Amino acid sequence: MISFDKTGKRFGTLDAVKDFSLDVRDKEILGLLGPNGAGKTTLMLMMGTVYRPTSGSISVDGFDVIKHPNNVRKLIGIAFQDARVDGILGAFDVLNWHLKMTTVLDKEERAERVEQVLRAVDLWDARKKRTWLMSGGMRKKVEDCKVLAQRPKIAVFDEPTAFLDVPSRLLMWKMIRELRDQGSTVIVATNMMDEAERLSERVAIVNRGKLVAIDTPEVLKGRTKGGEVLELTVDDGQEFPRGLLTQFGEVQDVTQNENKVSVYLSSGRLLLPKIVETLTTGGIKIQSVHLKEVTLEDVFLNYTGQNLE
Amino acid sequence: MSSSTILAKTSSDPTGQVSTSGLVWEMARRDILTLFRTPWIIISRSMAFVIQLFVFAYFISGMVVYPNFFQYYAVGSVVAMVASISFIIGYDIFEEAEEGLLDYLLTLPVSRRQFIIGRALGGAIRSMIYIIPMFVIVAVLEHFANPLSILAAVLDLFLLAFGVTGLSITMAVTVRSANRFDVTLALLDLAVTRISVALYPLTYLPNYVRLIAPYSPVTFASISVHDALIGTSLNATSLAGLLAFVAIFLVLGATIYFRRLEGGVYG
Ligand SMILES: Nc1ncnc2c1ncn2[C@@H]1O[C@H](COP(=O)(O)OP(=O)(O)O)[C@@H](O)[C@H]1O
Ligand SMILES: [Mg+2]
Repeated sequence: MISFDKTGKRFGTLDAVKDFSLDVRDKEILGLLGPNGAGKTTLMLMMGTVYRPTSGSISVDGFDVIKHPNNVRKLIGIAFQDARVDGILGAFDVLNWHLKMTTVLDKEERAERVEQVLRAVDLWDARKKRTWLMSGGMRKKVEDCKVLAQRPKIAVFDEPTAFLDVPSRLLMWKMIRELRDQGSTVIVATNMMDEAERLSERVAIVNRGKLVAIDTPEVLKGRTKGGEVLELTVDDGQEFPRGLLTQFGEVQDVTQNENKVSVYLSSGRLLLPKIVETLTTGGIKIQSVHLKEVTLEDVFLNYTGQNLE
Repeated sequence: MSSSTILAKTSSDPTGQVSTSGLVWEMARRDILTLFRTPWIIISRSMAFVIQLFVFAYFISGMVVYPNFFQYYAVGSVVAMVASISFIIGYDIFEEAEEGLLDYLLTLPVSRRQFIIGRALGGAIRSMIYIIPMFVIVAVLEHFANPLSILAAVLDLFLLAFGVTGLSITMAVTVRSANRFDVTLALLDLAVTRISVALYPLTYLPNYVRLIAPYSPVTFASISVHDALIGTSLNATSLAGLLAFVAIFLVLGATIYFRRLEGGVYG
């Protein structure tokens, strides 16, 4: 469906996206997970024919984004990270104009579609309110509604639930899933773990413009060395003796991020007292110990050596 | 409603395509409609125009030895006004780029050519609507009634509007800083409209202005409009100059525009 082939984008001296290869499957929901500045938006804007890749290529449904941009534009709909709406227009006019430009629906059909989505997100009563007078959350909903109403073959949502309250987030996820069920291929860029995990079938982890890992959330978590993570907080400035722990067969990996140490274990509970004892006798001052299941957060940390955010 | 479907299925298939001319027109209409959001601007500008015409032109025409200078000045004012108004589109586009609205517009299923033609057309039509009251005032005052003359004059004005819109779009995408853009456009507006024969005949202009003025697009338009409304013959050179101006800046504007954008200059 969509294929990124060694795609790169350089802004001046900055590689916003580098050597990025990924195939998006037909009718899947793919999560692009990465911290701010990872290059998610740049990737989507290149796919959307706004920016031209400076290296590599992207093809959408067989059309190269550089050689056949017009064909590509007919297939996609992008809900931008920050609402891109004409502030002086109300939600109804914004959506109606969007459908006018992107579909062949006639006036009545458009009105029907717009009413449907606006009612669903509880903005029907505010449909005439100028969007620049709306709260960030309301405006963001209008932005998402553009693509929900358009129902493009390829739907992109860039951080679709930023600024939304919890019920609205759940609703938005439901609507995005429905959009896919009706035949759209969906890409969701997000820096929120729960969004990536709960919404997408496959998650592509992006960091500093590069694809770090891609798979289902389950496989990613499974691949992250065993099933549990022991999180230790140690005193500042201590060089952590990894070797003390890697001698244990159950210890898969040890990573350190300042004074936080993550020990990935295949079977944690039995080993916990042993580890604490070994470290204490080794002169390490442990401030806290926390044993938990692996989450995507750990996956990210494990692959990139950094926390999200 | 937790299990019900929110996005009801519809029978019609939305994957078809809107006609090309329809899309160009929609892009144009967007720009035209912005004009009617602030009707008071048209009203106040028209009033300023009338005051300028009566106070200033009458005063000057007493001093300038030129047959019917008032008529010359009145017609030229309309031409200069069209040029000035047409520069506004550049500010709009610059703002759109800064706000990111442009990114959105560029993902719509409109080819880049349709996009730029639509915008230039919208900008030009907008200028034409804008100067209708002023044109009518001048036509009534000077008894211009021949429909063919008026049509020819309107066409000349439209070409000027179209070209200046292209020039303005070119500037909007060439100059990057907002401050410098404002100054550049204001200076360019002054240069194009004042270094021309729109308001004063060539012989009354200072020497250095006299060297450049004949090549100003506003001069081309002024001569053509004067010919259409007052003269009898058609000035081919001016018309050709006007057409060349339109062509150059539409192509240049479009080319630079998209090269810049795809490089991600804004953002
Ligand atoms: N138009 C641009 N010009 C220069 N740098 C840019 C531009 N757009 C994005 N960047 C830079 O590219 C990097 C990736 O940004 P972005 O794609 O927005 O990341 P994300 O969406 O993952 O937060 C950032 O360092 C950002 O500052
Ligand atoms: Mg982003």
